[in-house]
Amino acid sequence: MEFSGTFELEDTTVDEVWLALSDPVLVQESLPGCTFLLHVEAEEADFDELGEQAEGMDRELTNDPEVIAGRAFREGERYAALMQVSVGPVNPTFETVVTIDERDRPRMHASGEGSSGDSSFEMSSSMALSETEDGDGVAVEWETEADVFGKVAGMGQRVINPVANRIVKRFFSSVQEELHDLGVEAVSSSDGDESDDRSLVDRVLGRSKSTDSE
Amino acid sequence: MTIDSLDPEDVDAADILGSAIERREDPALLTGNAEYTDDIQLDGMLHMAVVRSQYGHARLEDIDTSEAEAMEGVHGVYTYEDLTSDETPGGGSFALPTAWLLDSLEQVPHPVLASEKVRHQGDGIAVVVAEDRYTARDAAGAVDVAYERLDAVVHPSEAFADDAERLHDDAEGNVAFDWEIGDAEKTADAFADASHTASIDLENQLLIANAMEPRAAVAEYNPGTDELEVAMTTQNPHVHRLLMAGVIGHPEHKLSVRAPDVGGGFGSKIHHYADEALVAWCSMMHEAPVKWTATRSETYLTDAPGRGHETKAEIAMDDDGNIVGLRVDTMANMGAYLSTFAPAVPTYLYGTLLSGQYDIPAIYGHVKGAFTNVPPVDAYRGAGRPEASFLVERLVHLGAKEVGMDPVEFRKRNFVPDDAFPYETQVAVVYDSGEYGKPMDEALELLDYENFREEQERARDEGTYLGVGFSCYIEACGLAPSELAGQLGAQAGLWESSLVRMHPSGTVTAYCGTSGHGQGHGTTYAQIVANELGVPYDSVEVVEGDTDEIPQGMGTYGSRSAAVGGSSLVKSAQKVVEKGKEIAAHQLEADPDDIEFENGEYSVAGAPARSMSMADVAGAAYLAHDIPAEMEPGLEATSFYDPENFVFPFGTHAAIVEVDPDSGEIEIERYVAVDDVGNQINPKIVEGQIHGGIAQGVGQALYEGAEYDDNATLLTGSMQDYAVPKAEHIPEMETESTVTPSPHNPLGVKGVGEAGTIAAPQAIVNAVADALEPFGVDHIDMPMDAESVWSAVQANATADGGAEPAGDDADPGGER
Repeated sequence: MEFSGTFELEDTTVDEVWLALSDPVLVQESLPGCTFLLHVEAEEADFDELGEQAEGMDRELTNDPEVIAGRAFREGERYAALMQVSVGPVNPTFETVVTIDERDRPRMHASGEGSSGDSSFEMSSSMALSETEDGDGVAVEWETEADVFGKVAGMGQRVINPVANRIVKRFFSSVQEELHDLGVEAVSSSDGDESDDRSLVDRVLGRSKSTDSE
Repeated sequence: MTIDSLDPEDVDAADILGSAIERREDPALLTGNAEYTDDIQLDGMLHMAVVRSQYGHARLEDIDTSEAEAMEGVHGVYTYEDLTSDETPGGGSFALPTAWLLDSLEQVPHPVLASEKVRHQGDGIAVVVAEDRYTARDAAGAVDVAYERLDAVVHPSEAFADDAERLHDDAEGNVAFDWEIGDAEKTADAFADASHTASIDLENQLLIANAMEPRAAVAEYNPGTDELEVAMTTQNPHVHRLLMAGVIGHPEHKLSVRAPDVGGGFGSKIHHYADEALVAWCSMMHEAPVKWTATRSETYLTDAPGRGHETKAEIAMDDDGNIVGLRVDTMANMGAYLSTFAPAVPTYLYGTLLSGQYDIPAIYGHVKGAFTNVPPVDAYRGAGRPEASFLVERLVHLGAKEVGMDPVEFRKRNFVPDDAFPYETQVAVVYDSGEYGKPMDEALELLDYENFREEQERARDEGTYLGVGFSCYIEACGLAPSELAGQLGAQAGLWESSLVRMHPSGTVTAYCGTSGHGQGHGTTYAQIVANELGVPYDSVEVVEGDTDEIPQGMGTYGSRSAAVGGSSLVKSAQKVVEKGKEIAAHQLEADPDDIEFENGEYSVAGAPARSMSMADVAGAAYLAHDIPAEMEPGLEATSFYDPENFVFPFGTHAAIVEVDPDSGEIEIERYVAVDDVGNQINPKIVEGQIHGGIAQGVGQALYEGAEYDDNATLLTGSMQDYAVPKAEHIPEMETESTVTPSPHNPLGVKGVGEAGTIAAPQAIVNAVADALEPFGVDHIDMPMDAESVWSAVQANATADGGAEPAGDDADPGGER
């Protein structure tokens, strides 16, 4: 099945949103039902091990571009997420592994699969950021193609579509909130002095405000 | 006409056969006193759940049962390896057999649990046995299966594509069989010489039966006696006993199968599935009773769907409007494996009906069966015959249009004439009897056909689109003459067996090897037996559906119960009457040839005062103090009735619809059904069968369809997504009958269980095509939902630059 949509974030810039969406910690916090989201180093993602690793980690939301740059998503790498989703009467927890296929500001493309006992999915997802027409915010155009299998698929598209839409909506709302709370702001020029990572905006961020600015 | 039910008390004994008496089984069904399989509770009963494939097609890499086995309350988790292990009860094939063979059939293995590959979503991988059903299901969820997903095919045309993923190593090109009937050359010549031809490409969609009661089984193994009793949702307990004995490796005489009350089957409970056999095996494994009841979701994933054809067909006519040839090329969906009787459905139950009600001199049918990643496809109410009738009647509709004749006139011109019976078709069957014009005329009168055509014209002028559609169906039922069935590939005889037992007090128990599951056999069989024996209707009890009680049997499907089972009861009852006659003659001191039997009384010819009632004779038979020398005491008789031929019910159904070309909505304004099912044992039950059948036919025409995505994942796996018609979707039905008795069975009955389902879809599609004729719409595939109707109107409006109906100022292209 295919899902797509556009979500508009107010009072922000493409760079700020790109920065936020580059941060696995912020994404983890914003994804409803997500227990952890971690870079997979090993050949196989062992979710028990990753779970322990997640518990032992002390990662905080930050507006510090240096910190974010250090942990930002990298093209070609795999990331594992443990996500619980409510679909109709069932609440499967999906062990999900996603590969970042492309990361080229302002576009990102990822593909992956998740499984939960009697259900699973395969997906391919992309998004592109652009300034809104009034210049006051950012439009996130996203599309996902997903094949859903097993019990969850049996719920039918009528049940799954609203679930997918709800997750996306809550995700971006939460991203918007975090952006605001953290006061993340990005500068629009790059000084590009460190790291070989071509995901430049991770490195473009100069100014930072204190986190309790509100 | 609506038939009123009668209280049997108000019916004279002599009139009991043919009276619309109320169904005796209903009070129990309506008050909750019926016992369904899931109602059975046994001490120490364990529960089984099945781990099912979430993929339509995948290789199994690993099945890890350790977590499930460690769960509290779990007694065992078993895979195919466990079934076939030396440590477990066995010796069975652990593979489901196919009971109908064809020369070209590719008999692929169908293990009861998948071991290497799963081939449809819901394919069983492991079973869990636990203390309660919730634990069993939770544990099933904890079995960790590693899959390598493979590409899937859903439709036969995809399965036959060159690059299609192959399901079975042995079935090259996913071809299950390649079969033909009729004369290809003669038909080709007929087409070459024809003045007119019409053709159609159609899909007859997959349907899911949706019996109200899901499949279920309770098995109880007695280690002391080695006896295994299985109560299960079955339409044919004896067939299931025979097949299951081989599957699980338990001797047939130590296995009993019983059908408690069964809440509908529509074919889906004929077949031998893996689940019921697994329940039986688990009971032996644990030496404890084991129960499994399918969830509704499992029903959607595993009950055999029906239909599933992709067909190209053509009809040829001469200048006078005579049909001179008919040619059919069908790709039939067999699903992932061959279900029990599956090979018969798109072949001998389909190709043999391609002549419809018409005298067609040249017919050729070619059918190729496809393995696909949908569940194994098998019989669903009508089974092959609806597919045949649908395309014949669609072709006839188009043929009439092609030659410029009224569809009624065209049909009448081509009907098999009344004096041609018994009529041998070009497709291997002999129609027993028929008067095809009769139901048609009756239907025309009910419709007020001439007036309707005028009204249709007027309505079109006003921008309202009415249409009338006819369906002159024929079906072959009363399955089946055993010798013929054997020649056609059946691996079983299709006779029926019964036992009629007079008790010493004069009451009667009648046993029959059919197995009713909602049809009202308890009522109709009692009517038959009471009539033959001349005993009160209330003195006859009917027993069905238990291999321990009934000697043998073949079950209920193919509209066979009345024609074959009922006939068997007649024969058994007549044997009882004959034996009774000798006892009466002995006691009345007369020659048996001088004894007359009428209304339950034996009397000496010419001396009616010298008489004995049936009850008295029964008493005498069991007392055995004074019966003829050499005669065995007791009064009962068994018979095996093997029909001479199929029976061929027929009729005309007609629908009047209004179609809104702007919204695509269809409203059925009238639905008229005139059926000839031969003699009627109980007209109320006949009417009920017709009503239910039409409801299912309307379901196929307008609402139902099993939809799978490209991965063969079922998208319509619940009642929210699969549209079983509700009361509001069913039109008011006007039903009438004509009666043309079957000449070759003692009751003269023809069978009614499937007639409505066979007849209805094409009546409605033809009506919609008639309504949309001004738009150039010839055909819409079922289910005809609003979108497909609207799209068809749009497509033709675009193609023809917006064809406008004559005299219509309104824009019919949907742009108003």
